[in-house]
Amino acid sequence: MSHTVLVCDDAIFMRTMITDILAQAGFEVVGEAETGTQAVEKYRQLKPDLVTMDIVMPDMGGIDAVREIVKNDPDAKILMCSAMGQQALVVEAIQAGAKDFVVKPFQPSRVLEAVQRVLG
Amino acid sequence: MDLSQYAELFLAESREHLSACNQLLLEWERRPSSPEPVSGIFRAVHTVKGMAATMGYGRVADLAHRMENLLDHLRRSGKPPADEVLQLLFRATDTLEKAVGLAVTGRERDLDVSALAAELDRAVPKQPTTPSAAAPSSLSAAAALAASVPGAGRLVQVTIRPEAPLKGARAMLVIRKAQSLGTVHRIQPPPQAFEAEEFEGRVAFELDTNVAPAEIEAALRTVGDVERVSVGGGGDEGLAPAESVAASGRSRHIRVDLRRLDTLMDLIGELVTARGRLNEIAARWVGQDPAIDDIAIQVSRLSAELQSEIIQARMTPVWQVFDRFPRLVRDVARQLGKQVAFRVEGKEIELDRAILDELGDPLVHLLRNAVDHGIEPPAERKRHKKNPEGQIVLAAVRERSTVAISIADDGRGIDRDKILQKAKREGVVGPHVEALSDDQLLRVLARPGFSTADAVTAVSGRGVGIDVVLTRLRALGGSIEIRTEPGKGTAFVLRLPVTLAIVRALIAAVGQERYALPLTYVAETVEFGTTPMTTMEGRDAIVLRDRVVPLVDLRKLLGTNGGAPAPPPRRPVIVLEMGERRSGIVVDGMLSQQEIVVKGFDAPQGTLPVFSGATIMGDGVPALILDAAGLV
Repeated sequence: MSHTVLVCDDAIFMRTMITDILAQAGFEVVGEAETGTQAVEKYRQLKPDLVTMDIVMPDMGGIDAVREIVKNDPDAKILMCSAMGQQALVVEAIQAGAKDFVVKPFQPSRVLEAVQRVLG
Repeated sequence: MDLSQYAELFLAESREHLSACNQLLLEWERRPSSPEPVSGIFRAVHTVKGMAATMGYGRVADLAHRMENLLDHLRRSGKPPADEVLQLLFRATDTLEKAVGLAVTGRERDLDVSALAAELDRAVPKQPTTPSAAAPSSLSAAAALAASVPGAGRLVQVTIRPEAPLKGARAMLVIRKAQSLGTVHRIQPPPQAFEAEEFEGRVAFELDTNVAPAEIEAALRTVGDVERVSVGGGGDEGLAPAESVAASGRSRHIRVDLRRLDTLMDLIGELVTARGRLNEIAARWVGQDPAIDDIAIQVSRLSAELQSEIIQARMTPVWQVFDRFPRLVRDVARQLGKQVAFRVEGKEIELDRAILDELGDPLVHLLRNAVDHGIEPPAERKRHKKNPEGQIVLAAVRERSTVAISIADDGRGIDRDKILQKAKREGVVGPHVEALSDDQLLRVLARPGFSTADAVTAVSGRGVGIDVVLTRLRALGGSIEIRTEPGKGTAFVLRLPVTLAIVRALIAAVGQERYALPLTYVAETVEFGTTPMTTMEGRDAIVLRDRVVPLVDLRKLLGTNGGAPAPPPRRPVIVLEMGERRSGIVVDGMLSQQEIVVKGFDAPQGTLPVFSGATIMGDGVPALILDAAGLV
């Protein structure tokens, strides 16, 4: 059975790209979210094996979303998607409970490595 | 893995850090309110701790750890340290240096650091927030140490791959992973630093855990982008299985065993000798085949380049020896109740490693003397309307092919009259001499066992030291000069060749023998008989541009026997110059100027003290090297 993934990003382009990378590697993208609030809601509904989380999203940011999700599921496996120059935010996300991160621009191999690490 | 191969690297690097530590402690002592030194000291001690733990030197790491605790406390408090705390840190640095030295020779346990460790612990106020740090007060100091060791966390150091993005975030993941294995303390740098973009990817922390080092390492590596993990022992633990400090060396420098360089130098020396022979042969055969000349020239050029590269590789900046002197001067001054401001100039000047290594002791001698006998006690200085704080300046200056190193103090100067009286009593100078020149003074002072404390109070002991210093300098082909003025101070100037191994020399003939005179001290050459003659102190002399230059006839000095051909009518005079002193050496002829390879020379008993070594000439026949200092 393939792992299920929830992809959270406010940009369709980014969601598409991540979805493609993961789908080609055999993962099943079961849902997408455009805001932090949606991410928290969909996590509750879908219980995915993995979440990819953009940091900057409207409504509720990625870090707050991580906090909310981990509050309900301490074992949630969340991979942060960040840009260079966001070190402080990524550190904060990790302290909030994110398990790993990838840096844009995405290289498929690095994304998959990170996913493997998170899924253990 | 075998860590012993890294022992020398560990020793050298630790010493560098501890030397820096000493410098910074001195700076801190001078300006206790300055916040910078403590961070630097902390970093230095921390680095030593990390390296020692990696090498499995539990005691060194433990001592460094305790120093670090104290430094961390001082750093956080932001208050100037009490004097006794500074002195404690000085002592701790010394002990740490000793411990490092013993550790690499496998004798770590020879040094008992328990008392010092307890003292360091006592100097740190107990913090209620970290109960584990406080040892039960009912235990003795040594017992407290012993008790605290098994519980102490393992020191873990992690380096993130240099090319990894967001190294700080990666480091944070490392910490999180470590926290899943046990309790993490004392994260360095503190996690706030991870947020900075410039965080360079090294993190160290202590981990209290029952997990084995190999498993800790494996677990931390799963975090990703981890280049290196080292897990140190917790006190008595064995060696860490981690990669060594050497693995991280991305520096463009490597450390080379000095003996390797010596061997290279010897080989180059032989090559230079062979080149000399080749040139001679080429000169004879060039008529038959002109190509031999080309090849000889090419070999000459290549060997000259090789030689200059290898000499360059041996060059070492003087700070490698000078850096320990501020501490020495301070200690001696403190011990004697003197106030001394010590300054070092020209630290970056380079000397052949072999010379520099030999220079440490003479300089220590002269510096001790300057503090002990040169600088007056503060009260006396005040009486003479001088700044109660005396000045000592150690300076290195490059002068053509020599380096001059001066040690100057602004103390009381040497009492010439007292020295003169004493010199007369001992028959060192004639009874009619009324004053000693700087030169004569030095000669008197340098007589073995000349001075005794009661006879020459102002310079007690100085003579003995100067004797030793002079001998050492002579052996290095150097010279020493003294300048002293009553009430103003004394300066010693040491002149040394930049390198020992190969020098350009003038080859002179006397009788049937050839002698080499290093060009370092050759000022000029003149022809005997073309300049006015005179006498100076009963010796023949020439007048050269209004200066009287005493002559030394090598024929007479060396006792060249009657079997030798008669001297030519017009003999050349080689004028040697050493500081202010000059001397004209009369030889039979001048043959050539060439590079010679200096070989050590154990002069047989009774040999005149005018040879500093020997060399092999191009034709394979040895020639003696004349010592300029012995002739001037």
